[in-house]
Amino acid sequence: MMEKLLVLCLSGLTNGSVYGLVGLSIALIYASTRVINFAQGDFVMLGAMIIASLLENQVLGPVLAILAVLGISAISALLLEALAYSPLVRRTDPLNLMLGTFAGSVIIGGVALLIWGPNQIYVPGVFSMEPVRIGVITTTAQQISIVASFVVSLLVAWWILYMTNFGLTVRATGINASITSLMGIRANRIIRFTFIFSACVSAASGVLVGPLLGGQVSMGLGLTVKGFMAAILGGLGNPFAAAAGGLMIGVLEAMVGGYGSSLYAEPVIFALILIVLLIRPYGLLGEFEAVQR
Amino acid sequence: MKQDTLLRQVLPSLVLLAIALAAPSFTSSGFALRIGMLVFVYAILGFGFNLLVGLAGQLSLGQQGFFAIGGYAVVLLQTNTGLPLLAAMPIALVICGLTAALVGATLMRLRSHYLAMATLMFGLIVQGMALRLFDLTNGSAGLRMPIPNFAGWQPTRIETYYVVIAITVVAFLVHAFVVSTFAGRAFRAMRVDEVAAQSTGIDVSAYKLKLFILAAIFAGLAGCTSAIVTRQVDPTYSDVAIVISMLTLGVVGGLRSWYGPVIGATVVTIVPQFISTLQALQPLLYGLGLLAVLIFLPRGLAGVIDSGIVYLTTRRKTMPLGDKVAANRGAR
Repeated sequence: MMEKLLVLCLSGLTNGSVYGLVGLSIALIYASTRVINFAQGDFVMLGAMIIASLLENQVLGPVLAILAVLGISAISALLLEALAYSPLVRRTDPLNLMLGTFAGSVIIGGVALLIWGPNQIYVPGVFSMEPVRIGVITTTAQQISIVASFVVSLLVAWWILYMTNFGLTVRATGINASITSLMGIRANRIIRFTFIFSACVSAASGVLVGPLLGGQVSMGLGLTVKGFMAAILGGLGNPFAAAAGGLMIGVLEAMVGGYGSSLYAEPVIFALILIVLLIRPYGLLGEFEAVQR
Repeated sequence: MKQDTLLRQVLPSLVLLAIALAAPSFTSSGFALRIGMLVFVYAILGFGFNLLVGLAGQLSLGQQGFFAIGGYAVVLLQTNTGLPLLAAMPIALVICGLTAALVGATLMRLRSHYLAMATLMFGLIVQGMALRLFDLTNGSAGLRMPIPNFAGWQPTRIETYYVVIAITVVAFLVHAFVVSTFAGRAFRAMRVDEVAAQSTGIDVSAYKLKLFILAAIFAGLAGCTSAIVTRQVDPTYSDVAIVISMLTLGVVGGLRSWYGPVIGATVVTIVPQFISTLQALQPLLYGLGLLAVLIFLPRGLAGVIDSGIVYLTTRRKTMPLGDKVAANRGAR
């Protein structure tokens, strides 16, 4: 009984970490640009697909391969920012901007389709997939690494945002980009940074979750929606609330699937988020920042 | 009606209607007619979406839920209660409106991205229910629509095409009417500034709810029409893909114009038919095309046509600069 609960908790935390990391990425970009980046899930996909190609052909060792994944994702994020975000941002219509990132997502997916094809591919693990026993539950190093990377990413994001001068400028840009620019802060650079940082976080989670989910070109949009849900459930304005929202969704999914029927997991979660939004219109931990926009 | 509206909104709409009416005399293959009718289904969906998003700026991603409710209602009313199609359609629209009133009363309190997410959840719940309420909806296989029968008259394929055009014209007229009434101006005011709209005496929450109900009825009508066209309803009616098509048709066609949704619907329906031969290149081209429209044609294809009309009609006269600026402004 207890064992089942723990197993479900762990699998929920693993999936939840990925949703949480996508949610964190989405919320981070939202915090500095007020745009929902629909391409965020595609960076998870890129991470999984690139690491699969690199490790399968033994091109690079695991450490270099991860660095290569982060590099490629950073470049893709820069391209996304330069081609889809900056040309549209002056129009100030949030719908157009959101659609721009959606177009970016379709383009990334389209390029990936040309490279990897539509079929699901096997993604080798960076860490060992050997079962490890902790107390009563059995897990793998790969699974633990996902939860660990979640914690590390959160700590890094927190350290950057709240412990450094640079983080202060990032938060200031989120509050008002034009006034921040008047203060001599280069808001454009900050926005570019959030795009790159978010892409790297998402790609890293893709590297780690790839062996569990399998890599598929079309997996991006589903992950974006889950990450968006996580961000909304927690509260869009706050990256850490968004990450917590992801964990909640992951654990809930596992619990409903484990104790009820996996058939009803999705509607139950959707209904739950709906109820949360009706009671707390700005997310569980969100502030009323949305009012001002 | 002002001459400006006549020229810039009514004229292009009439041209589009003429093209639609004449199209079957050029190609009347079953496939072409079906594609043509799907254009109108999407156009009706687009009218509702245009009111909601283009006019009032309420980003609802749940229209596909009402699309599915309308489709399922019209089929179930016919098969389970034996109502004729002409009675089932209005009742299906009433069901859509009532559902929207129930859901909207709470959902429309949310704003911006939260509203978008909550309405998207609504659409996904409708899809989930369509998949899982097996006894009623027959799961993922969906339901067959009985042969359309309008009070004893069973239209042929080509007659069905004209019936669909008639439904679209009614939807177009309602859409154009709403845009030009006080309510239309209230919606526009809400988009620009909710607080300012409220302070000029517009009951923002009441108008939001009315708008949500109206848009749901449009989507329900599209659902009924789609059931007539495809003779089938299934859970893909409430798929996320429908929302994405709706967003694309809104932006590509041009939000806020009377006939933009029709042009957008044409593009969204016909372009995939052309590029489907390109196989793996298809998504890439689709994405690039969408991005190019967003960057270079911010007012959509309807905006291009509008600028063309303005250019052609103002070139010969010399105008004071102020009038020129006014003429070049979008049809807000």
